[in-house]
Order: sequence, then structure tokens, then C-alpha cells
Amino acid sequence: MATFPVTEQALVDRYGPHLNRTPPGGWNADSTDIDKQVRTHCCFCGQQCSLYLKVKDNQVVGFEPDYDFPFNEGRLCPKGIKRYLQGDHPDRLLDPLERDPDAPGGFRPVSWDHALDRTVSEIRRIQAEHGPDAFAMLSGVSLTNEKSYLVGKFARLALGTANLDYNGRLCMVSAGAGNMASLGMDRASNSWADIPQAGVVWIAGANVAECAPITTSYIWRARDNGAKLIVSDPRVHPLARTADIFLGLKPGTDSALFGTVLHILVERDWLDHDFIEAHTQGFDAAVEAVADYTVQWGSQVTGVPAGRIMAAAELWGTSDTGMLLHARGIEHHTKGVDNVKSAINLGLATGKFGRPGCGVTTITGQGNGQGGREHGHKCDQLPGNRKITDPAARAYIAEVWGCDESEIPGAGITAQEIVEAIHRGEIKGLLSICFNPAVSLPDTTYTREALAKLEYYGAIDFFLNETAYQADIVLAGSLHEEDEGTSTSAEGRVIKINQAIDPPGNARKDWKILLDIAQRLGRGQYFTYDTTEEIFEELRVASKGGKADYYGITWQRIEDEQGVFWPCPEIGHPGTPRLYEGGTFAFPDGRARFNPVAYREPAEVVDDNYPVWLTTGRVVSQYLSGTQTRRIGPLVDQYPEPLCEIHPTLAGELNIRDGDRVEVTSRRGSMQLPAKVVTTIRPDTVFIPFHWAGDKAANQLTNRALDPISKIPEYKVSAVSVRRVGAGEATTDRRDLNIDPNAPASTDLRRF
Amino acid sequence: MSDPAPRNPDAPGVAVGTMPDSGSRARGDGIHAGLAPGLASGELLFVIDQSRCIGCRACVEGCGECGTHRGTSLIHLDEVDRSTSTQTVPMVCMHCTDPTCAEVCPADAIKQNEDGVVQSSLKPRCIGCENCIQACPFGVPKYMAEIDQMMKCDMCYDRTSEGTAPMCASVCPSDALWFGTRAEFEEHRGRQLLNDWNFGNQTVTTKVAVVVDDAGPGPLDVLLGREPGFQWQDDPFGLEGR
Amino acid sequence: MTRLDRTALAWGLLAVLVSLGLVVLGSDGLTWFDAALVGYLFGTLFAIFGTVYRYVVWTQRPPTRRLNRRGWQAMLARQKRASNVVSLPLLIAERLLLQDFIRKRSWLRWAAHQLIFWGCILAALVTFPLVFGWLHFESVGQAARDYRMVVANLDTPLTFDSRGVFGWLVIHALDVSAVLVLAGVFIFLSRRLRDPGAMAVERSGDFLPLAGLFAVSVTGLMLTASNMWLDGRFYTFITTVHALTVILGLMYIPFGKLFHIFQRPGNIGVSYYKDADVPRATCTDCGQEWASQLQVDDLKDILPELGFDYSIPTTLPAAPFPEVASGTHAPHGNGNYQDVCPPCRRRLVTLAQSRRVGGFG
Repeated sequence: MATFPVTEQALVDRYGPHLNRTPPGGWNADSTDIDKQVRTHCCFCGQQCSLYLKVKDNQVVGFEPDYDFPFNEGRLCPKGIKRYLQGDHPDRLLDPLERDPDAPGGFRPVSWDHALDRTVSEIRRIQAEHGPDAFAMLSGVSLTNEKSYLVGKFARLALGTANLDYNGRLCMVSAGAGNMASLGMDRASNSWADIPQAGVVWIAGANVAECAPITTSYIWRARDNGAKLIVSDPRVHPLARTADIFLGLKPGTDSALFGTVLHILVERDWLDHDFIEAHTQGFDAAVEAVADYTVQWGSQVTGVPAGRIMAAAELWGTSDTGMLLHARGIEHHTKGVDNVKSAINLGLATGKFGRPGCGVTTITGQGNGQGGREHGHKCDQLPGNRKITDPAARAYIAEVWGCDESEIPGAGITAQEIVEAIHRGEIKGLLSICFNPAVSLPDTTYTREALAKLEYYGAIDFFLNETAYQADIVLAGSLHEEDEGTSTSAEGRVIKINQAIDPPGNARKDWKILLDIAQRLGRGQYFTYDTTEEIFEELRVASKGGKADYYGITWQRIEDEQGVFWPCPEIGHPGTPRLYEGGTFAFPDGRARFNPVAYREPAEVVDDNYPVWLTTGRVVSQYLSGTQTRRIGPLVDQYPEPLCEIHPTLAGELNIRDGDRVEVTSRRGSMQLPAKVVTTIRPDTVFIPFHWAGDKAANQLTNRALDPISKIPEYKVSAVSVRRVGAGEATTDRRDLNIDPNAPASTDLRRF
Repeated sequence: MSDPAPRNPDAPGVAVGTMPDSGSRARGDGIHAGLAPGLASGELLFVIDQSRCIGCRACVEGCGECGTHRGTSLIHLDEVDRSTSTQTVPMVCMHCTDPTCAEVCPADAIKQNEDGVVQSSLKPRCIGCENCIQACPFGVPKYMAEIDQMMKCDMCYDRTSEGTAPMCASVCPSDALWFGTRAEFEEHRGRQLLNDWNFGNQTVTTKVAVVVDDAGPGPLDVLLGREPGFQWQDDPFGLEGR
Repeated sequence: MTRLDRTALAWGLLAVLVSLGLVVLGSDGLTWFDAALVGYLFGTLFAIFGTVYRYVVWTQRPPTRRLNRRGWQAMLARQKRASNVVSLPLLIAERLLLQDFIRKRSWLRWAAHQLIFWGCILAALVTFPLVFGWLHFESVGQAARDYRMVVANLDTPLTFDSRGVFGWLVIHALDVSAVLVLAGVFIFLSRRLRDPGAMAVERSGDFLPLAGLFAVSVTGLMLTASNMWLDGRFYTFITTVHALTVILGLMYIPFGKLFHIFQRPGNIGVSYYKDADVPRATCTDCGQEWASQLQVDDLKDILPELGFDYSIPTTLPAAPFPEVASGTHAPHGNGNYQDVCPPCRRRLVTLAQSRRVGGFG
């Protein structure tokens, strides 16, 4: 209901982010003197690497690689190694909090009874005054499948609101919609074991080395087997450095590139006619749409030399096997769904589906980005990736839930639309879990304004994230290692998260908080779980017969089989690592759909006032809005603050030298940050990573324009102006990167 | 004792997913606990392929978690020149057969084990003179000012002496740092290994090997690194044709 | 050390002779020499010989000899002599006595080391003078409980009541030192047996000194126990065992880990060497200053003595900044690899590797 209760600095002083650098007991503690080692997975991206957490006295004190899990075989990125430092953290919320401008830090600890009663009375009041949909819920897919499923049911049956959506809306929805429209199912087309079997690997808009680091090893394995690598990206990211063909395209021109390649495939007849004939429909219309997309046109639009586009098309078209992996780079667009469809068209045209080493797939970004988008977490979805508008689906789920079908609300609006409805005053109350929209949504100024208009905002979180600064009640929830459940990795592999420790202090498990609220709303009869596994058992049944069918998967099977790939419709079913085998797609007729994609420009294009393209993304040491990773010292040391990557040509024109402070301005706002002058970015484009809050948030600049289908915001393309505001220290030091620039002087003395 | 398995495996709550008592401790089939002699016989290899390094610093973070130097990361990770390339430089101790560092140590503080692993400085002996830091041809030892002593990579001796992969090679997401059996390498990597180096007139042989396309031409001439840049993408955005 | 080093042999024998002379002088012509302690004397002389022998051999190694000389030169350098002389006691106190550098690694480790260190110092201060016959106690006055400390043949003004606190401390000084040492030994042992890192790099030489210190301390305490509570039972036996452990311990000093006691003072020389006002070396590959030019040049001298040749022939590429190579070692060929700073060495290794992997790694 408000702006910040106290100054931002006072909030930061009390609730962080502070940096934890030391395990409980210190570095000199005996690392073998532990109570147990718990096998679980990393919480910091969709690859879901397995690892062991070392536990002593209900604290996670270290980690050990897990060499036996087939996906990562011990491999971890820096986030996975240091994730254990998020526990035993000074910023950890140990009690429910209530907004109180007079309390130090702006919040006072309150009892659970008080926090829950206040929440429930506000929900009742708002819904009584403004209707059930005036209270919305925002959730996130760092939650397990069980919690994701529960949130979906909770919003519909306990809150009774249609307006539930999730932070996957900022992440995987374009891929999901594209997959559904083209292939009939929304899952990675392959397990990663197919990558080393591919003859050509095309990485489109995916900074694999930083955002899905372990996937790098699969690509190297493919290359050890002779595969060629194509990378299309506006930046020469670490994997792109080694590409056989690098297509350094202009931001927002992915579908032009893919359309041009399709045009060339047709022109040169690098097509799999048998496959097109037997397993697809709509080819002619798709070809018609790219009839004018000659290589000259494509080169003109994308800025990539024609010869390289031709070489990529030839490599892709003439290789028997191949995989195209894409990520947010082509999905964070007002054409995100189009981009995905046009990428899939390339796979369908050359018959690269349903065989070893063949597929077109997204690299899901968030921890449970795959499973969390399947079981009723989305505004228009019921468990099993069913449509909430489908009468049969409603009837089935009503039966599973034991409610009347009419009690299930209809389709709601999406995350960004919810914030806009709040801004317009249509939504008055909000409950959020696992979502930090004040950092992660575009146009942060607008988001802040919207949040300030809420009559009640309740946030469930383990740290006080920047959105919760504006909360009325904060409910202290649980960290990943404080609960158990399943998660579905980027591969579509359902895996088990095991509980290492109990929530500290008075913090509670997230799902129990939801049960408490449901109980007080008088809807406890639908939420009678005693264990997380009971939620999973219900999810299995609810997903049965849906597209995302988990019915055959049990916790025991997951443990026994190192994860199970859905769809797995029966207990005896082995799971499905590779989809579409034999060219059978998930439509009633078994045929995949070519979708015609005509290129259109991004929502915002450069002009005289805003002459530079801005694209945003991630760095390897941070995760999403940074609520967790900005609190882990060693990760912060790696990349302490956002830097603006800029090409020396552009920098020279603007009189900017490496390390200078620059001001980047868009129509939404402006920010100042150091420039990092590198030749690894297009000369017409600047890049800013988005993990930081407040005046360091890249999303101060980004555009709220949405994809018409997926409703994903266009994070990857904005028009900005850049100017130098002052000098600063160089960002690139050729000396050893181990030397931590922020550490106390003592360790600074480490020499060589 | 250095087995990281829990002290008390029957402690309540260890229902699922605890570390197997035995079985593989590193990737692949060939590596099992108790194969420590593999390190001495050369059956177990530490392999670097710098060209695969993605600069993620998992090795740097993992290094500090190793039991022999917990809390202190000893691996090096530099940039070649970030202004023009994302190429990074991972460097562990190469464990020279005839270690320059040990020879120039005035205090006899650097010892080589029978299996060829060159240990970090012996704490009672090291007098912090930095001779080793300046003489090591690979630039490996680090001078830790606070304790006035040298520390260096010891190949995670608590792990490798038992056949378990060192931390950095365990976690490396891109297999730029790799630890496994020779057979495994030959089966999967399809490239060759080299562990002879020329530093000007000095030839050095190391326990750690690097990946090359063809080991035939002999030792790796480090000074050839001075020749003008060899870059993967010499004109990534096609600017020169404009 | 396949053959005996003659210089070291001479120094060792000289040290033994000097020690013997001091025994004769200090004990007033053996008047006060306690014949029962002759075994200890033998062990001590052996330790002196061995330690001096090894020390001389050690300081003759090229890097040690060079550092030894540079340490003294730096300390006595004219510009800094005054301040160096002032700082010497401070350095000795901080580095050799208080061992601050250990505390920065681990407080517990430091505590253990301090306990053992001071325990041994105390024991040495008591036993060596006794063994050499330099020190004895005489009963004074009529009461059998008052003693005077006598050094050589000179009465000290120090008299004390053997049943007083001070007297107790004097009589039990060795027991106090044994308790200090034992406490330290136990801390070290518990760490050594638990810490996986310490376990892994374990050498038998790490346990032996702990075992020796344990044996000496325990047998020493048993002597007191026998004397005080067992009416002297087993006393002769324990005396023999104790003497054996001490003598073996003394004889071990030159060979094992304990030799670091004599190496560690080199750290003081190193700190003067590092502080010396000498020009900085500039890296031939990046042009940045990175080390003391003196030390770089010293290494370029020493390495050939040790059988290394890091000079760069003209067949290989020249450095970007060849002119910075030091004057006294005028570059021949394309200079010396030892003029390249460590970060540039690491970079060269990677760049060289990239030339041997065509296309990608």
C-alpha cells in the first residue's frame, strides 16, 4: 500500500544484501566433521545440476560434487559451488514481518497468527469490495513442482482469483507457446544426451557459457565427435568465440535470420522432402512467408555478412543430424513466439526431429522453469499443461480437486498485465512468492508506481527482496534446501530436491504457509496434505492424461532411475528422453505444424534521439533478480556491479574509454554505470546485465512492450542513447582475476 | 579419514541420496576410490585444454573448497585481453618432473611426492622469499602476504591421493580442466596430450598434460605465444568488408 | 649428501670443541659437571655437530647462499642501517617469538605452536646449563629448604625457599615445560588426525617430532610423579627411559622437521631483502613492474648453477618490451624468460596452446 516504509538505505542496512563469505564454523572448521551429506540439486538454473550438501547442526557447511548424476557428473558452475553460503545468512528472515515505518529497517517482527490473520482479513476485504479477481497472486518457478502445483490450486480454490501468473512469463513462455503451436507439446525436444550425437549444433541467442555453463561440456563432446558449431548472437560470448560460423546479428532480427535460412534451404533444396511430406503440415505457407527473404535481404536486415548466412544454411541443411538450441536471446522479444516458430521451421524443413542428435529446443533458464510451467502455475493453465478454458480439463481437475467445476475461475491475465492492472487500480491486493518484479519486470519506475497503489501486498520470501520493500506483510518462507520435492530440468527430467535442513527460527516451509492461509480462508478442506509427497501424488493424478503427464513418475522411481523424463503416463513406462520419435508430434494427427513467420521490427527501433540498441542478459555469477546470489560474497566479487559493454568504435565516437562512467538513457529512464569497452559486441549495440536493483537495474531502461501471444516483455531490444559522464577505473585488469577487488586489504596483498 | 562420507552415516535424516560408500568418485567408469596408484603410474591424468575455458570461475570457487587449503583459492584464472576476446587463462600447478620452484627454494620448503605431485610449501620451512613465485615458468605459486608464505596448487592432494578428482577438474563445466583415466581420454576426446614444454632453451616435463591436435611436432614452445594474436573470430561482426 | 662436506665437517667439529671448552670453563674445570648427565652431554654435542653440519651444507646451496648474503647486505645497507637495527628486535619478537604469521593461519595452530615453543625454550634454559655444569643450586643457611642459584662458580643473589611459590616453580620448571609441550602436542595431534587436508599431505616426519616431544614430556613428568607420590619407585627405570628419549630427540634435531628452528630466522633476512631500496623489474611482455630487479637478477644467476637455462634464442619471437631487461644481464639472444612476469607467463602458455589446437580445442 505504499512506497518504502523507511529510506532505501535503511532497508539495505537492515535487510541487505549483505555478503556472506564464510561457511558456518569458519574455514578452519573440520570439514569432515559433519552429520550427513544430502544429495540434492542446485537451485540456480534450469540445468538442475546434482550435488551433495554437507550438513552439520542443521546448517549447510559445504558441498561435494556428485559424480554419479548423469547430467552433470560432478560439474558445477560457481553458483552451484557457493550456493551453500545462502544459508546461515545475516539477511535471512526468521519471523513474519509487518510494515512499520517506526521500526528499524521499516518492518517489525510479528507472530504468525497476526501475520496470517491480517493477510486473510485483507484478502476478504478486498475481494468483498472489489470482486475476487481484484486480489492477484504472482509466483515463481524457483519453486518445486509440488509448490507450483499447490500455488495454482491455492490461487484458484483458496483465493478464488483468476489472476495468478508467474515469473516464467519473463522467461520461457515464448518457447512454450512456440513449442505448443509447432510441435503440440512444450518440453525440450531431447535429453541433452542427444547433443553429442549432433552433426551441427546451432546456438541461437543463448550465452551458454554463462547461463547454462554445464551445457558447454555437451557441445564440446559434440565437437569431439566432429560436430560444427554455429552461433547467432549480438555478442561474441565465451562459446561464440570458438564457433565455426559466428552470425553476429542485430538485436531483434532473429526471425529474419531464420526466415532467410529457410529461404536458402528451399532455394538450394536442402530439404527433407520425405519428412515434410509424412510428418508436417503447412510447409507451403511457411515457404510463402519467406519468399522474399533472399540472402541479400537477410544480410541487410540482420547485419550479418551474406556469405556467413549462406555457410550456416549450408551446414544446417546438408548435415544429416543437428540440434538448434535457443534461449532468452530469441525469446525475450515482442516476436518471441515468432522467433521460436521460425527456428522450429528450420528443424522441420530438414527433418531434424525425433532422431538421435536431432532437435530444436529451448534451454530453459529458471531452476524449475520446465516443471513450473506445466502444472497450473500460469494464468490460463491447469495441471498437466491443460487449458483452463477447456471444459474437459476443468471437469477432470475439478474431480481431482474434489470441488465443483464452477469454483475454478477462468483464464486470468499475465504477470506484466497484472502489474498494469494494479497501476490502473483494477487489482487492489497482491500475494507474491518467489518473484521480485521490482527488479525483474521492465520499466522499474512503472512497477514501483504500481506497487505503491496496492491496498495490501503480502510477500512470501526468505530474504527481503526489493519488491517486498513495499509489502505490508512479509511471510518468512523456506530456502531450497529447507524443503523437499521434485523439479523438472531443462531436459524434461523430473528430479528430486531433498531437504538438508529445517527452516531456521520461526520461518516456515512455503507450502505450509499456503496451507495456513487456505485454512483461515475457510478452504482448508482442499488442502489436507501432511507431507510434500502427498502433494506430488495428487499432482501425478492431476497431470494424468494431460500433455505434461507425470502419472507414471513416483519419488521412488526418481531416486532409483536418476530422474524420469516426462511424458510418463504409466508406472511401467520408461519415460521419454527424446520426443517425437518416428516423426510423431503431439497433435491429434501426429503432424508438426510449420508456422508462417513474416519478419517485423521490434517494438522500439533506434532513431536520432535513441540511436543505440540496448540488449540485456545475465552474467555467470548471478541468478535472475539476484535475491540470493547478490548475498553470496564470492559470487558478488566476480562481477560486483553492472557494466555497460560497448564496442571501441562506438566508444570512440562517444569519447568513452574503458571504465568511464556512462549514462544510458531510454524513453523509460536512465542509469549511470561503468563502460566496459570490448570488441565482442556489435558496434551498434550495448549490453547491460540485469541482476541488480534500484539505480543499478537495467530494467529501468527496458520496454514494457509484450509479445502478443506469450506476453513476454521485450528485454532484448530497446533504443537508448549513451553518453560519457566521467572518468573511472578500468574494468579490465590483465592481472590475475582471483584477486578480489573488494576484499579487505589483507587478501589484496596476494601476489601473482 | 579424508573420505568425505559422513562421520555418522546412520544419523537420522540421511534417508536419501547419501554418498555411496564406494563406487565412482569422478566422472566416467574408470575411476574408483582406492585407485590412488593410478596417480603414480600415470593411469590417472590431469588434463588442461585452455581453449575450452569459458572463464566462469567455477574452478576458482571450487579450489577454495579443497581440504588441503580450505578457504584459499590457489588456481589462477586470468584474461588474455578482455578488450578483444573472452579467452581466459586457467592455470593449475603443472607438477614439473624437475620443479624449478623446489630448486630455487632456499629453505628446502617445496617437496615432491613419489607420485610426482609437487606439494605446497612446507609451512615450518617457507621463509616467504618468493624465489619460487618468480622462477616458476608457469607462474603458479602465490605469495600470501598475510601469512608471509607461499602457497600453491597441490592437485587437491587429499582427493587425488585417493583417486578422487581434484575440485577444479571436478566442477569445470567445459572440461577445460579434466581428470580421468588415459583410456577415457583417448576414447572420448580424440585429441592428443602433450606434457613437454620449451621455455626458450629450457625444456620442462610436467605431470599435468595439455591437449593439442598433434603431439608429433614435439614440446610446446611457450614463447610462440608472443606471436601476433591467434583468435577464433578475427572479425566477428564482418566489419572489415564494409 | 652422498659425501661428507668438508667445510661443514670442520664447522661442526669446531662447534663441538667450542661447546666442550665452554663446559670446562663454565663448570669451573668440571667441578660442577654432573657425571650422571654425561649421556645428555653426548646427545647435546651430537645435536650441535649435526645441526651445524647441516646448517653449513644448507647455506652453501646456491639459492640459500645468495639469499643469506643478500639478507645481510640489505640489513646493513648504509641508507637503512639505522632503521634496520631498530627494527631487528621488533622483527625477532613478532616473527620468531610471537610467530604472528601462524596466528593468521589459524588461532588454534598458533596456540599449539606457542605452547610447544615456549615449553621447549623453558626446558632448554634449564637443562642445557645444568648439563653443561654451568648452573647448580646450593643449600644456604640452616634451614634445608633455602637454596641459592649458582652460575658457573659465581653465587647469584638469587636465593629462594624451595617450598615457596618461586621455589616450586624453579624445581618444577621442567614439569611446567612438559605440560606446555603436551598441551601443544595434543592440539596438533587432534588437528592432524581430523583435518583431511593435513592428513593428505602427511609425512611420517610430521608425526615423529610430535611423538618425540610426547615421549620426553611424559617420561619427564613420570619422574616427578615417581619422586613425589611413589616414593621413588621405578625412578631408575624411568630415568633411563627419559634419558634415552631426550638423547634420541636431541640427535633427531638436525635431521627432521625440527631443523626449521634454525632455518626460520632466515625470514628476517628475507624481510630486509624485500624491503631494500632497489629498482623494480619491468616485465618484458606487458611493461608492468612486477618484482625486485635484484631478485630477478639473482635468480638468473642461480638458475644456471642449478642446471636451468631460461634464455631465449633468436629463433623465437622477441618480447614487446625487450629494452627493460636488466643492465647487468645484458640480453643475449632474445632475452631471458625470467624477465617475464607470472601473469604474462600464464598467458603465454595459453596463447601457445591455442596455436596447437586448430580451429577449436
